[in-house]
Amino acid sequence: MAQREFEITITPDGNVELHIKGYKGKSCLEAVHMFEEIIGTLKSQRETNEFYEPEEQVQFRVDQRQ
Amino acid sequence: MSAVSILTPVVVAAWPVFAAAVSAAATSLGYAVVAESMSRLGQTTNEKSVAKQVELEIANTELVTGQLGRDQRITVSRNNVTVTFSRDARGRAQVCVSGAGQPDEALRALGQELSQSVVQHYVYRKLIDECRARQFIVVEEEVEADKSIRLKVRQWEN
Repeated sequence: MAQREFEITITPDGNVELHIKGYKGKSCLEAVHMFEEIIGTLKSQRETNEFYEPEEQVQFRVDQRQ
Repeated sequence: MSAVSILTPVVVAAWPVFAAAVSAAATSLGYAVVAESMSRLGQTTNEKSVAKQVELEIANTELVTGQLGRDQRITVSRNNVTVTFSRDARGRAQVCVSGAGQPDEALRALGQELSQSVVQHYVYRKLIDECRARQFIVVEEEVEADKSIRLKVRQWEN
């Protein structure tokens, strides 16, 4: 089970700072979009190192027996 | 971490939801709700003649309401300052601040402080409700010294 974490700060003027953790690659953008739908307009965004890590993949190796 | 985003809230709410946010924000800043209905209209109009008054608008708001609720308003008061929130013809939230012996700048500042707090309370409620609906778990909740509300929310995914 993958754990995602969101740190949300609602400033006194109502703006929201959102730290999204646990996503790798561009799947993070889906989470940002979800919060846009809940809260409002995306004002700015800064990707962190994890954002550029490859998304989780499952690889299968098939060996052929002769 | 994957990303840090800043979001500007858009308030799209039915009147009861908006009125609840006004009530919560007002209470947190020491105001008391004095009226919530059309009946306040006459009293507010009378106050105009004796007290200074400034009008503000809360940006990015759309108050959804039925025909019957079109003229709804909620009034709060603290230390001889009265703030009335209402819905204008375009559906935006309008704020009218009045108080005898107060300069316009002071009334405007009070109105802005309360309006921002209303938006903060609205966003908080919306986030909590949406987290619950999506089965996210709020594991931490704190109010910082600067009155920011900090939430830590977890989601487990298969």
